[in-house]
Amino acid sequence: MGALYFYPRKFTLDNYAQVFDNRQIWQAYKITILRTVIGTAAHVLLCTLMAYALSKKTLPGRTFFTFYIFLPTIFSAGFIPYFITLQKLHLINSFWVYVIPMLFNFMHVVIIRTFLQGIPEEIEESARIDGLNDFQIFVRIILPLSGPVIATISLFIGVAHWNDWFTGAYYVSDKNLIPVQTLLQQMLTEAEALSSSMQRAAQQGGQTVNVNMAGATPESMRMALLVITVFPILCVYPFLQRYFVKGVMIGSVKG
Amino acid sequence: MKSSLLWKRVWRHKLFYLFLLPGIVWFFIFSYVPLYGLQVAFRDFTFVGGFTGSPWAGLKYFRQFFDYYQSSDIIRNTIVISLMKLLVGFPMPIILAILLNEIRNLKFKKTIQTLSYLPYFVSWIVVVTLMQRLLSMYGGPLNDLLSSFGAHPVQFMNNTTWFYPLVLGSDVWKNIGWNSIIYMAAIAGIDQQLYEAAKIDGASRFRQIWHVTLPGIRNIAVILFILATGSLMSAGFEQLLLLNGPATASIGSVLDVHVITSGIQQGRLSYAAAVGLFQSGIALILIVTVNWIARKVSDVSLF
Repeated sequence: MGALYFYPRKFTLDNYAQVFDNRQIWQAYKITILRTVIGTAAHVLLCTLMAYALSKKTLPGRTFFTFYIFLPTIFSAGFIPYFITLQKLHLINSFWVYVIPMLFNFMHVVIIRTFLQGIPEEIEESARIDGLNDFQIFVRIILPLSGPVIATISLFIGVAHWNDWFTGAYYVSDKNLIPVQTLLQQMLTEAEALSSSMQRAAQQGGQTVNVNMAGATPESMRMALLVITVFPILCVYPFLQRYFVKGVMIGSVKG
Repeated sequence: MKSSLLWKRVWRHKLFYLFLLPGIVWFFIFSYVPLYGLQVAFRDFTFVGGFTGSPWAGLKYFRQFFDYYQSSDIIRNTIVISLMKLLVGFPMPIILAILLNEIRNLKFKKTIQTLSYLPYFVSWIVVVTLMQRLLSMYGGPLNDLLSSFGAHPVQFMNNTTWFYPLVLGSDVWKNIGWNSIIYMAAIAGIDQQLYEAAKIDGASRFRQIWHVTLPGIRNIAVILFILATGSLMSAGFEQLLLLNGPATASIGSVLDVHVITSGIQQGRLSYAAAVGLFQSGIALILIVTVNWIARKVSDVSLF
Protein backbone atom coordinates (compact mmCIF):
# COMPACT_ATOMS: atom_id res chain seq x y z
CA MET A 1 0.00 0.00 0.00
CA GLY A 2 1.22 3.49 -0.80
CA ALA A 3 1.95 6.04 1.90
CA LEU A 4 -0.87 8.35 2.93
CA TYR A 5 -0.23 12.02 3.36
CA PHE A 6 -1.81 14.86 5.28
CA TYR A 7 -2.82 16.53 2.02
CA PRO A 8 -4.56 14.55 -0.72
CA ARG A 9 -2.10 13.56 -3.36
CA LYS A 10 -4.50 14.00 -6.19
CA PHE A 11 -8.06 15.25 -6.53
CA THR A 12 -10.37 12.61 -7.94
CA LEU A 13 -14.04 11.78 -8.16
CA ASP A 14 -13.32 8.15 -9.05
CA ASN A 15 -14.21 6.98 -5.54
CA TYR A 16 -17.71 8.41 -5.89
CA ALA A 17 -18.12 6.76 -9.27
CA GLN A 18 -17.08 3.50 -7.60
CA VAL A 19 -19.52 4.02 -4.74
CA PHE A 20 -22.40 4.61 -7.10
CA ASP A 21 -21.38 1.59 -9.18
CA ASN A 22 -21.71 -0.64 -6.14
CA ARG A 23 -25.10 -2.33 -6.16
CA GLN A 24 -25.22 -2.92 -2.39
CA ILE A 25 -24.61 0.76 -1.67
CA TRP A 26 -27.38 1.78 -4.05
CA GLN A 27 -29.77 -0.62 -2.35
CA ALA A 28 -28.79 0.66 1.11
CA TYR A 29 -29.20 4.26 0.02
CA LYS A 30 -32.64 3.43 -1.34
CA ILE A 31 -33.64 1.87 2.02
CA THR A 32 -32.37 4.93 3.88
CA ILE A 33 -34.32 7.33 1.68
CA LEU A 34 -37.49 5.23 1.81
CA ARG A 35 -37.47 4.83 5.57
CA THR A 36 -36.69 8.50 6.10
CA VAL A 37 -39.47 9.73 3.82
CA ILE A 38 -42.15 7.27 4.95
CA GLY A 39 -41.08 7.34 8.60
CA THR A 40 -40.95 11.12 8.81
CA ALA A 41 -44.28 11.70 7.07
CA ALA A 42 -46.12 9.14 9.21
CA HIS A 43 -44.46 10.31 12.44
CA VAL A 44 -45.26 13.98 11.88
CA LEU A 45 -48.85 13.28 10.86
CA LEU A 46 -49.65 10.96 13.77
CA CYS A 47 -47.88 13.07 16.40
CA THR A 48 -49.68 16.18 15.17
CA LEU A 49 -53.06 14.45 15.36
CA MET A 50 -52.34 13.30 18.90
CA ALA A 51 -50.96 16.68 19.95
CA TYR A 52 -53.99 18.50 18.54
CA ALA A 53 -56.33 16.31 20.55
CA LEU A 54 -54.24 16.83 23.71
CA SER A 55 -54.20 20.59 23.14
CA LYS A 56 -58.00 20.70 23.60
CA LYS A 57 -58.50 21.85 27.18
CA THR A 58 -62.12 20.65 27.12
CA LEU A 59 -61.22 17.05 26.22
CA PRO A 60 -62.35 14.65 28.97
CA GLY A 61 -59.44 12.48 30.11
CA ARG A 62 -56.77 14.84 28.76
CA THR A 63 -54.59 14.67 31.91
CA PHE A 64 -54.83 10.89 31.98
CA PHE A 65 -53.74 10.51 28.36
CA THR A 66 -50.83 12.90 28.86
CA PHE A 67 -49.66 10.90 31.87
CA TYR A 68 -50.18 7.67 29.93
CA ILE A 69 -47.65 8.73 27.29
CA PHE A 70 -45.30 10.39 29.84
CA LEU A 71 -44.83 7.42 32.18
CA PRO A 72 -42.67 5.30 29.82
CA THR A 73 -40.11 8.13 29.60
CA ILE A 74 -39.44 7.80 33.35
CA PHE A 75 -39.30 4.04 33.51
CA SER A 76 -38.68 2.06 30.34
CA ALA A 77 -38.54 -1.69 30.07
CA GLY A 78 -35.17 -1.73 28.34
CA PHE A 79 -33.88 -3.50 25.26
CA ILE A 80 -34.80 -7.10 25.83
CA PRO A 81 -38.56 -7.00 26.44
CA TYR A 82 -38.71 -4.46 23.61
CA PHE A 83 -36.77 -6.79 21.34
CA ILE A 84 -39.05 -9.72 22.20
CA THR A 85 -42.06 -7.52 21.45
CA LEU A 86 -40.63 -6.70 18.03
CA GLN A 87 -40.10 -10.42 17.44
CA LYS A 88 -43.66 -11.27 18.44
CA LEU A 89 -44.95 -8.60 16.07
CA HIS A 90 -42.89 -10.17 13.25
CA LEU A 91 -41.13 -6.87 12.74
CA ILE A 92 -37.65 -8.42 12.92
CA ASN A 93 -36.14 -8.60 9.45
CA SER A 94 -38.90 -6.50 7.93
CA PHE A 95 -38.73 -3.03 6.41
CA TRP A 96 -41.41 -1.83 8.84
CA VAL A 97 -39.11 -2.26 11.82
CA TYR A 98 -37.61 1.04 10.69
CA VAL A 99 -40.91 2.86 10.57
CA ILE A 100 -43.46 1.54 13.08
CA PRO A 101 -41.37 1.56 16.30
CA MET A 102 -40.47 5.20 15.60
CA LEU A 103 -44.00 6.46 14.92
CA PHE A 104 -44.38 8.36 18.20
CA ASN A 105 -42.20 10.28 20.59
CA PHE A 106 -43.39 11.84 23.84
CA MET A 107 -41.25 14.99 23.59
CA HIS A 108 -42.33 15.62 20.00
CA VAL A 109 -46.01 15.36 20.95
CA VAL A 110 -45.42 17.83 23.81
CA ILE A 111 -43.59 20.30 21.55
CA ILE A 112 -46.39 20.25 18.95
CA ARG A 113 -49.07 20.48 21.65
CA THR A 114 -47.44 23.52 23.24
CA PHE A 115 -47.17 25.18 19.84
CA LEU A 116 -50.83 24.47 19.02
CA GLN A 117 -51.93 25.88 22.38
CA GLY A 118 -50.35 29.17 21.28
CA ILE A 119 -52.82 29.52 18.39
CA PRO A 120 -55.56 31.95 19.53
CA GLU A 121 -58.85 30.18 20.17
CA GLU A 122 -60.76 32.96 18.41
CA ILE A 123 -59.46 31.68 15.07
CA GLU A 124 -61.08 28.30 15.64
CA GLU A 125 -64.22 29.91 17.03
CA SER A 126 -64.76 32.10 14.00
CA ALA A 127 -64.13 29.14 11.69
CA ARG A 128 -66.77 27.18 13.58
CA ILE A 129 -69.21 30.06 13.16
CA ASP A 130 -68.44 29.97 9.44
CA GLY A 131 -69.75 26.40 9.48
CA LEU A 132 -66.54 24.36 9.45
CA ASN A 133 -66.58 21.10 11.39
CA ASP A 134 -63.73 19.88 13.63
CA PHE A 135 -62.03 17.95 10.86
CA GLN A 136 -62.18 20.85 8.40
CA ILE A 137 -60.80 23.18 11.07
CA PHE A 138 -57.86 20.85 11.59
CA VAL A 139 -57.08 20.51 7.89
CA ARG A 140 -57.76 24.08 6.74
CA ILE A 141 -56.85 26.18 9.77
CA ILE A 142 -54.58 24.30 12.18
CA LEU A 143 -52.29 22.48 9.74
CA PRO A 144 -51.45 25.56 7.64
CA LEU A 145 -50.62 27.49 10.82
CA SER A 146 -48.33 24.71 12.14
CA GLY A 147 -45.66 25.06 9.48
CA PRO A 148 -42.78 26.01 11.81
CA VAL A 149 -43.37 23.27 14.37
CA ILE A 150 -43.90 20.66 11.65
CA ALA A 151 -40.59 21.70 10.09
CA THR A 152 -38.88 21.33 13.48
CA ILE A 153 -40.26 17.89 14.21
CA SER A 154 -39.58 16.75 10.63
CA LEU A 155 -35.95 17.69 11.06
CA PHE A 156 -35.68 15.90 14.44
CA ILE A 157 -37.27 12.68 13.29
CA GLY A 158 -35.84 12.85 9.77
CA VAL A 159 -32.30 13.03 11.13
CA ALA A 160 -33.06 10.25 13.62
CA HIS A 161 -34.18 8.04 10.72
CA TRP A 162 -31.30 9.01 8.51
CA ASN A 163 -28.70 8.41 11.23
CA ASP A 164 -30.07 5.21 12.76
CA TRP A 165 -27.64 2.36 12.26
CA PHE A 166 -28.63 0.32 15.31
CA THR A 167 -31.96 -1.02 14.01
CA GLY A 168 -30.33 -2.23 10.82
CA ALA A 169 -27.45 -3.82 12.69
CA TYR A 170 -29.39 -5.69 15.38
CA TYR A 171 -32.97 -6.16 14.19
CA VAL A 172 -32.31 -6.90 10.52
CA SER A 173 -30.11 -9.55 8.95
CA ASP A 174 -31.35 -9.40 5.34
CA LYS A 175 -28.55 -7.69 3.40
CA ASN A 176 -31.02 -6.04 1.03
CA LEU A 177 -32.79 -4.27 3.89
CA ILE A 178 -29.77 -2.59 5.45
CA PRO A 179 -29.56 1.24 5.42
CA VAL A 180 -26.42 3.19 4.55
CA GLN A 181 -25.46 3.90 8.17
CA THR A 182 -25.47 0.20 9.02
CA LEU A 183 -23.38 -0.52 5.94
CA LEU A 184 -20.90 2.08 7.14
CA GLN A 185 -20.86 0.43 10.56
CA GLN A 186 -20.14 -2.98 9.04
CA MET A 187 -17.25 -1.49 7.07
CA LEU A 188 -15.94 0.17 10.23
CA THR A 189 -15.99 -3.13 12.10
CA GLU A 190 -14.13 -4.78 9.22
CA ALA A 191 -11.55 -2.01 9.16
CA GLU A 192 -11.05 -2.20 12.92
CA ALA A 193 -10.49 -5.94 12.75
CA LEU A 194 -7.95 -5.34 10.00
CA SER A 195 -6.14 -2.57 11.85
CA SER A 196 -5.91 -4.61 15.05
CA SER A 197 -4.47 -7.55 13.14
CA MET A 198 -1.95 -5.13 11.62
CA GLN A 199 -1.03 -3.95 15.12
CA ARG A 200 -0.62 -7.50 16.26
CA ALA A 201 1.59 -8.26 13.27
CA ALA A 202 3.67 -5.15 13.95
CA GLN A 203 4.07 -6.04 17.63
CA GLN A 204 5.23 -9.51 16.72
CA GLY A 205 7.82 -7.93 14.46
CA GLY A 206 6.28 -9.42 11.36
CA GLN A 207 5.83 -7.69 8.06
CA THR A 208 2.54 -5.81 7.85
CA VAL A 209 2.45 -6.73 4.18
CA ASN A 210 1.49 -10.25 5.16
CA VAL A 211 -1.83 -9.17 6.62
CA ASN A 212 -4.68 -10.33 4.49
CA MET A 213 -6.24 -7.25 2.91
CA ALA A 214 -8.98 -9.13 1.12
CA GLY A 215 -12.49 -8.63 2.45
CA ALA A 216 -11.96 -5.10 3.73
CA THR A 217 -13.46 -2.17 1.87
CA PRO A 218 -10.84 0.26 0.59
CA GLU A 219 -10.54 3.29 2.84
CA SER A 220 -11.17 5.77 0.02
CA MET A 221 -14.47 4.09 -0.68
CA ARG A 222 -15.50 4.20 2.96
CA MET A 223 -14.76 7.91 3.06
CA ALA A 224 -16.77 8.47 -0.12
CA LEU A 225 -19.67 6.59 1.45
CA LEU A 226 -19.30 8.71 4.57
CA VAL A 227 -19.53 11.87 2.50
CA ILE A 228 -22.70 10.76 0.73
CA THR A 229 -24.34 9.93 4.07
CA VAL A 230 -23.51 13.29 5.63
CA PHE A 231 -24.07 15.44 2.55
CA PRO A 232 -27.90 15.52 2.56
CA ILE A 233 -27.92 16.60 6.21
CA LEU A 234 -25.43 19.38 5.46
CA CYS A 235 -27.75 20.53 2.67
CA VAL A 236 -30.98 20.87 4.66
CA TYR A 237 -29.42 21.86 7.97
CA PRO A 238 -28.78 25.58 7.36
CA PHE A 239 -32.35 26.14 6.16
CA LEU A 240 -33.93 24.47 9.15
CA GLN A 241 -31.65 25.90 11.82
CA ARG A 242 -33.97 28.68 12.97
CA TYR A 243 -36.86 26.20 13.20
CA PHE A 244 -35.11 23.69 15.41
CA VAL A 245 -33.79 26.39 17.71
CA LYS A 246 -37.42 27.47 18.14
CA GLY A 247 -38.48 23.87 18.67
CA VAL A 248 -35.99 23.34 21.46
CA MET A 249 -37.21 26.54 23.10
CA ILE A 250 -40.86 25.47 22.94
CA GLY A 251 -39.85 22.14 24.43
CA SER A 252 -37.92 23.80 27.22
CA VAL A 253 -40.82 25.99 28.33
CA LYS A 254 -43.04 23.00 28.98
CA GLY A 255 -40.89 19.95 29.47
CA MET B 1 -77.76 12.91 35.09
CA LYS B 2 -74.11 13.71 35.62
CA SER B 3 -72.90 10.71 33.69
CA SER B 4 -75.06 11.60 30.70
CA LEU B 5 -73.51 15.07 30.72
CA LEU B 6 -70.03 13.53 30.65
CA TRP B 7 -71.10 11.18 27.88
CA LYS B 8 -72.33 14.20 25.90
CA ARG B 9 -68.96 15.91 26.33
CA VAL B 10 -67.14 12.75 25.29
CA TRP B 11 -69.37 12.38 22.25
CA ARG B 12 -68.75 15.98 21.24
CA HIS B 13 -65.01 15.21 21.24
CA LYS B 14 -65.33 11.98 19.25
CA LEU B 15 -63.07 13.20 16.45
CA PHE B 16 -60.32 14.02 18.97
CA TYR B 17 -60.49 10.55 20.46
CA LEU B 18 -60.09 9.21 16.94
CA PHE B 19 -56.98 11.40 16.61
CA LEU B 20 -55.67 9.99 19.91
CA LEU B 21 -56.37 6.37 19.05
CA PRO B 22 -53.24 5.52 17.00
CA GLY B 23 -51.04 6.98 19.73
CA ILE B 24 -52.85 5.15 22.53
CA VAL B 25 -52.44 1.85 20.68
CA TRP B 26 -48.79 2.55 19.79
CA PHE B 27 -47.76 3.48 23.33
CA PHE B 28 -49.59 0.42 24.61
CA ILE B 29 -47.73 -1.93 22.24
CA PHE B 30 -44.27 -0.37 22.29
CA SER B 31 -44.09 0.90 25.90
CA TYR B 32 -46.56 -0.98 28.10
CA VAL B 33 -46.32 -4.45 26.56
CA PRO B 34 -42.51 -4.43 27.07
CA LEU B 35 -43.05 -3.28 30.67
CA TYR B 36 -45.33 -6.27 31.17
CA GLY B 37 -42.69 -8.37 29.44
CA LEU B 38 -40.11 -7.40 32.05
CA GLN B 39 -41.13 -10.54 33.91
CA VAL B 40 -38.89 -12.54 31.54
CA ALA B 41 -36.08 -11.40 33.85
CA PHE B 42 -37.59 -13.77 36.43
CA ARG B 43 -38.37 -16.56 33.97
CA ASP B 44 -36.46 -18.99 31.77
CA PHE B 45 -37.55 -17.34 28.57
CA THR B 46 -38.36 -19.46 25.55
CA PHE B 47 -39.74 -17.94 22.40
CA VAL B 48 -42.62 -20.43 22.29
CA GLY B 49 -43.57 -19.77 25.90
CA GLY B 50 -43.48 -16.02 25.46
CA PHE B 51 -43.77 -13.47 28.26
CA THR B 52 -46.09 -15.46 30.47
CA GLY B 53 -45.75 -19.09 29.38
CA SER B 54 -42.07 -19.61 30.23
CA PRO B 55 -41.28 -21.30 33.58
CA TRP B 56 -40.39 -19.14 36.59
CA ALA B 57 -36.71 -18.90 37.48
CA GLY B 58 -36.81 -16.56 40.44
CA LEU B 59 -33.67 -14.48 40.91
CA LYS B 60 -31.47 -16.95 39.02
CA TYR B 61 -30.45 -14.49 36.33
CA PHE B 62 -29.75 -11.65 38.75
CA ARG B 63 -27.52 -14.02 40.71
CA GLN B 64 -25.85 -15.09 37.46
CA PHE B 65 -25.01 -11.46 36.70
CA PHE B 66 -23.58 -10.70 40.14
CA ASP B 67 -21.62 -13.96 40.09
CA TYR B 68 -20.16 -13.08 36.69
CA TYR B 69 -16.52 -12.24 37.30
CA GLN B 70 -16.72 -9.05 35.25
CA SER B 71 -19.97 -7.66 36.65
CA SER B 72 -18.32 -5.34 39.17
CA ASP B 73 -16.01 -4.03 36.42
CA ILE B 74 -18.97 -3.41 34.14
CA ILE B 75 -20.89 -1.53 36.82
CA ARG B 76 -17.80 0.49 37.75
CA ASN B 77 -17.03 1.37 34.12
CA THR B 78 -20.61 2.48 33.54
CA ILE B 79 -20.55 4.77 36.56
CA VAL B 80 -17.07 6.13 35.83
CA ILE B 81 -17.89 6.97 32.21
CA SER B 82 -21.26 8.54 32.90
CA LEU B 83 -19.92 10.47 35.91
CA MET B 84 -17.16 11.84 33.70
CA LYS B 85 -19.73 12.83 31.11
CA LEU B 86 -21.86 14.45 33.79
CA LEU B 87 -19.04 16.36 35.49
CA VAL B 88 -17.48 17.64 32.26
CA GLY B 89 -20.30 17.35 29.76
CA PHE B 90 -22.92 19.04 31.93
CA PRO B 91 -21.22 22.42 32.63
CA MET B 92 -19.69 22.73 29.14
CA PRO B 93 -22.91 23.84 27.34
CA ILE B 94 -23.58 26.33 30.13
CA ILE B 95 -20.12 27.84 29.68
CA LEU B 96 -20.58 27.93 25.90
CA ALA B 97 -23.96 29.65 26.22
CA ILE B 98 -22.56 32.28 28.60
CA LEU B 99 -19.56 32.91 26.34
CA LEU B 100 -21.81 33.19 23.28
CA ASN B 101 -24.01 35.62 25.14
CA GLU B 102 -21.01 37.85 25.79
CA ILE B 103 -20.06 38.04 22.12
CA ARG B 104 -21.17 41.33 20.65
CA ASN B 105 -20.30 40.56 17.03
CA LEU B 106 -23.55 38.99 15.77
CA LYS B 107 -22.08 37.45 12.65
CA PHE B 108 -19.32 35.71 14.59
CA LYS B 109 -21.84 34.51 17.17
CA LYS B 110 -24.12 33.06 14.47
CA THR B 111 -21.22 31.25 12.81
CA ILE B 112 -20.12 29.67 16.09
CA GLN B 113 -23.69 28.60 16.83
CA THR B 114 -24.20 27.03 13.40
CA LEU B 115 -20.92 25.16 13.66
CA SER B 116 -21.47 23.96 17.21
CA TYR B 117 -24.98 22.56 16.58
CA LEU B 118 -23.90 20.63 13.52
CA PRO B 119 -22.15 17.59 15.14
CA TYR B 120 -25.41 16.72 16.90
CA PHE B 121 -26.91 15.90 13.50
CA VAL B 122 -24.13 13.55 12.48
CA SER B 123 -24.48 9.91 13.49
CA TRP B 124 -22.11 8.21 15.93
CA ILE B 125 -21.06 5.85 13.21
CA VAL B 126 -19.84 8.77 11.09
CA VAL B 127 -18.08 10.34 14.08
CA VAL B 128 -16.26 7.12 14.94
CA THR B 129 -15.33 6.43 11.30
CA LEU B 130 -13.84 9.94 11.12
CA MET B 131 -12.01 9.50 14.42
CA GLN B 132 -10.56 6.23 13.26
CA ARG B 133 -9.37 7.88 10.04
CA LEU B 134 -7.95 11.02 11.66
CA LEU B 135 -6.24 9.25 14.54
CA SER B 136 -5.01 6.21 12.65
CA MET B 137 -1.40 5.09 13.14
CA TYR B 138 -1.18 4.22 9.49
CA GLY B 139 -1.30 7.54 7.72
CA GLY B 140 -3.73 9.37 9.99
CA PRO B 141 -3.28 13.15 9.63
CA LEU B 142 -2.69 13.70 13.33
CA ASN B 143 0.09 11.14 13.50
CA ASP B 144 1.57 12.51 10.25
CA LEU B 145 1.69 15.89 11.92
CA LEU B 146 3.26 14.46 15.09
CA SER B 147 5.91 12.58 13.13
CA SER B 148 6.72 15.71 11.10
CA PHE B 149 7.74 17.21 14.45
CA GLY B 150 9.84 14.13 15.05
CA ALA B 151 7.52 12.50 17.58
CA HIS B 152 6.74 8.79 17.60
CA PRO B 153 3.33 7.84 16.23
CA VAL B 154 0.72 7.41 18.95
CA GLN B 155 -1.89 4.69 18.93
CA PHE B 156 -5.01 6.63 19.94
CA MET B 157 -7.79 4.16 19.12
CA ASN B 158 -8.09 0.88 21.02
CA ASN B 159 -5.66 2.06 23.66
CA THR B 160 -6.57 2.18 27.34
CA THR B 161 -4.52 5.35 27.92
CA TRP B 162 -6.50 7.33 25.36
CA PHE B 163 -9.87 5.63 25.70
CA TYR B 164 -11.52 7.84 28.31
CA PRO B 165 -10.24 11.13 26.82
CA LEU B 166 -11.59 10.05 23.42
CA VAL B 167 -14.96 8.95 24.82
CA LEU B 168 -15.33 12.17 26.77
CA GLY B 169 -13.96 14.42 24.03
CA SER B 170 -16.16 13.04 21.28
CA ASP B 171 -19.22 13.17 23.54
CA VAL B 172 -18.63 16.83 24.42
CA TRP B 173 -17.86 17.71 20.79
CA LYS B 174 -21.06 16.09 19.59
CA ASN B 175 -23.45 17.52 22.19
CA ILE B 176 -22.06 20.81 23.50
CA GLY B 177 -23.71 23.04 20.90
CA TRP B 178 -27.05 21.34 20.92
CA ASN B 179 -27.31 21.34 24.70
CA SER B 180 -26.37 25.02 24.82
CA ILE B 181 -29.50 26.01 22.84
CA ILE B 182 -31.73 25.57 25.86
CA TYR B 183 -29.45 27.77 28.00
CA MET B 184 -29.28 30.38 25.25
CA ALA B 185 -33.09 30.44 25.34
CA ALA B 186 -33.09 30.88 29.11
CA ILE B 187 -30.51 33.68 28.89
CA ALA B 188 -32.56 35.40 26.19
CA GLY B 189 -35.49 35.37 28.61
CA ILE B 190 -33.63 37.29 31.30
CA ASP B 191 -34.98 40.79 31.85
CA GLN B 192 -32.51 43.28 30.33
CA GLN B 193 -33.29 45.75 33.11
CA LEU B 194 -31.46 43.46 35.55
CA TYR B 195 -28.27 43.96 33.52
CA GLU B 196 -28.87 47.72 33.39
CA ALA B 197 -29.35 47.85 37.14
CA ALA B 198 -26.20 45.78 37.70
CA LYS B 199 -24.23 48.11 35.43
CA ILE B 200 -25.44 51.17 37.32
CA ASP B 201 -24.33 49.49 40.53
CA GLY B 202 -20.90 49.25 38.95
CA ALA B 203 -20.86 45.50 38.35
CA SER B 204 -18.16 44.25 35.99
CA ARG B 205 -18.93 41.78 33.17
CA PHE B 206 -17.93 38.91 35.47
CA ARG B 207 -20.11 40.21 38.32
CA GLN B 208 -23.01 40.52 35.85
CA ILE B 209 -22.57 36.90 34.78
CA TRP B 210 -22.35 35.78 38.39
CA HIS B 211 -25.30 37.78 39.74
CA VAL B 212 -27.66 37.98 36.76
CA THR B 213 -26.95 35.34 34.10
CA LEU B 214 -26.29 32.38 36.38
CA PRO B 215 -29.38 32.86 38.58
CA GLY B 216 -31.36 33.29 35.36
CA ILE B 217 -30.47 29.81 34.10
CA ARG B 218 -30.49 28.13 37.49
CA ASN B 219 -33.94 26.53 37.23
CA ILE B 220 -33.42 25.02 33.81
CA ALA B 221 -29.99 23.76 34.88
CA VAL B 222 -31.47 21.99 37.92
CA ILE B 223 -34.12 20.29 35.76
CA LEU B 224 -31.56 19.15 33.21
CA PHE B 225 -29.30 17.93 36.00
CA ILE B 226 -32.07 15.77 37.45
CA LEU B 227 -32.70 14.31 34.00
CA ALA B 228 -28.97 13.68 33.52
CA THR B 229 -28.68 11.75 36.78
CA GLY B 230 -31.42 9.46 35.50
CA SER B 231 -29.01 8.26 32.83
CA LEU B 232 -26.08 7.67 35.20
CA MET B 233 -26.53 3.93 34.74
CA SER B 234 -26.32 4.18 30.97
CA ALA B 235 -23.06 5.43 29.55
CA GLY B 236 -24.27 5.95 25.97
CA PHE B 237 -24.56 2.64 24.16
CA GLU B 238 -24.18 3.86 20.57
CA GLN B 239 -20.85 5.53 21.24
CA LEU B 240 -19.44 2.73 23.40
CA LEU B 241 -20.67 -0.06 21.17
CA LEU B 242 -18.59 1.54 18.40
CA LEU B 243 -15.56 2.82 20.34
CA ASN B 244 -14.99 -0.08 22.70
CA GLY B 245 -13.05 -3.10 21.51
CA PRO B 246 -11.23 -6.09 22.98
CA ALA B 247 -8.19 -3.93 23.75
CA THR B 248 -10.16 -1.51 25.93
CA ALA B 249 -12.76 -3.94 27.31
CA SER B 250 -11.38 -3.81 30.86
CA ILE B 251 -12.28 -0.13 31.18
CA GLY B 252 -14.81 0.19 28.37
CA SER B 253 -17.42 -2.55 28.93
CA VAL B 254 -20.60 -0.94 30.19
CA LEU B 255 -24.05 -2.15 31.21
CA ASP B 256 -25.92 -1.02 28.09
CA VAL B 257 -23.50 -2.76 25.77
CA HIS B 258 -23.45 -5.86 27.98
CA VAL B 259 -27.24 -6.07 27.71
CA ILE B 260 -27.10 -5.86 23.92
CA THR B 261 -24.23 -8.29 23.40
CA SER B 262 -25.44 -10.92 25.87
CA GLY B 263 -29.09 -10.59 24.91
CA ILE B 264 -29.33 -9.94 21.21
CA GLN B 265 -26.02 -11.34 19.99
CA GLN B 266 -25.71 -14.35 22.32
CA GLY B 267 -29.44 -14.90 22.70
CA ARG B 268 -29.40 -15.00 26.54
CA LEU B 269 -32.61 -13.00 26.71
CA SER B 270 -33.66 -13.63 30.32
CA TYR B 271 -30.18 -12.87 31.61
CA ALA B 272 -29.94 -9.65 29.60
CA ALA B 273 -33.43 -8.62 30.71
CA ALA B 274 -32.34 -9.06 34.33
CA VAL B 275 -29.27 -6.88 33.77
CA GLY B 276 -31.45 -4.30 32.04
CA LEU B 277 -33.95 -4.33 34.89
CA PHE B 278 -31.16 -3.84 37.41
CA GLN B 279 -29.96 -0.90 35.31
CA SER B 280 -33.33 0.84 34.96
CA GLY B 281 -34.23 0.13 38.58
CA ILE B 282 -31.13 1.94 39.82
CA ALA B 283 -31.80 4.74 37.31
CA LEU B 284 -35.32 5.17 38.68
CA ILE B 285 -34.07 5.29 42.28
CA LEU B 286 -31.42 7.85 41.29
CA ILE B 287 -33.81 10.15 39.46
CA VAL B 288 -36.41 10.07 42.24
CA THR B 289 -33.75 10.72 44.92
CA VAL B 290 -32.09 13.59 43.08
CA ASN B 291 -35.50 15.05 42.28
CA TRP B 292 -36.38 14.91 45.99
CA ILE B 293 -33.10 16.55 47.03
CA ALA B 294 -33.52 19.25 44.39
CA ARG B 295 -37.01 20.03 45.62
CA LYS B 296 -35.77 20.34 49.21
CA VAL B 297 -32.72 22.43 48.37
CA SER B 298 -33.82 24.63 45.50
CA ASP B 299 -37.63 24.43 45.16
CA VAL B 300 -37.11 23.32 41.56
CA SER B 301 -38.04 19.79 40.60
CA LEU B 302 -39.07 17.71 37.66
CA PHE B 303 -42.14 16.15 39.29
